[in-house]
Amino acid sequence: MAGAPDVRRPGSAAGEQLQQQHVSCQVFPTRLAQGNPQQGFLSSFFTSNEKCQLRLLRTLETNPYVKLLLDAMKHSGCAVNKDRHFSCEDCNGNVSGGFDASTSQIVLCQNNIRNQAHMNRVVTHELIHAFDHCRAHVDWFTNLRHLACSEVRAANLSGDCSLVNEIFRFHFGLKQHHQTCVRDRATLSILAVRNISKEVAKNAVDEVFESCFNDYEPFGRIPHNKTYARYAHRDFQNRDRYYSNI
Amino acid sequence: MADCSPWQPRRPCEAYRAEWKLCRSARHFLHHYYFHGERPACEQWRRDLASFRDWEERQSAEAQRSLCESEQARVQAARKHILVWALRQSPPADWHLPLPQEDE
Repeated sequence: MAGAPDVRRPGSAAGEQLQQQHVSCQVFPTRLAQGNPQQGFLSSFFTSNEKCQLRLLRTLETNPYVKLLLDAMKHSGCAVNKDRHFSCEDCNGNVSGGFDASTSQIVLCQNNIRNQAHMNRVVTHELIHAFDHCRAHVDWFTNLRHLACSEVRAANLSGDCSLVNEIFRFHFGLKQHHQTCVRDRATLSILAVRNISKEVAKNAVDEVFESCFNDYEPFGRIPHNKTYARYAHRDFQNRDRYYSNI
Repeated sequence: MADCSPWQPRRPCEAYRAEWKLCRSARHFLHHYYFHGERPACEQWRRDLASFRDWEERQSAEAQRSLCESEQARVQAARKHILVWALRQSPPADWHLPLPQEDE
């Protein structure tokens, strides 16, 4: 794949787990590949593609964050089909996944997703982008504020910036540190898919932060952990009953 | 404020109890402080739980009104932010279309 900017579908919103260095736009080199079989270097019992598929299936069936998002998307007219809307591929750099708006597909980087918990978080993050794409006219390609908003929401609501995850990254902070993390990770995500300066990305995040950080849809609250996500899912299922009475 | 009559509670009684219990937990205090930099406010959940019980036992109109207004306030608070984008009236037309290579 050559360096043309549209090879990786410029409208993609990248996932989390980004290194500090600027990642070029060549993140998903296999997006247009012709069905190359995916083999792990140490295949052990499963190839990396098989592991990705199995972990994805488990996430879709059991994770409360994802189950709520799938329900919300179905409710908005975007029912998700695992085989159509997800793709496990090898990716460049340290990106864990992305949402390709031009094909309405979530890319999972099978070579970078380490374990089931990581898969849960990546799928949640990308489904938030997909949900935004479904419910709103998000201009992924040319409106930096729209991209920034979706990245703020994804970092905020997916668990990317939980206290435990931040400690593992050696980012220590307590009082309101979550917001600092959301700003930083949203900025990094933008830099992974846009060839712009860090300052421009940061300014875009700052402009939309107040609005997008407080947009908790479809959760209705910040899901700090699976318990909150379950409560949020219960509330979502009761919504129709409630709003019909207002 | 929308009319609260006729009205049906948004959540079952055990949901109010569970929310209040969760709100008062040490873990929630930690989460809330980490996220917002301040202590959580749980008093409204306690009032709502008391109102629900009152409404359930005595069919109290006052309790019903209080509960309804509290839930409406939560809905309003969730919608307070200004949206960055315009909402769709229908989902994207290409969401369910086959992938380009499948089409060839």
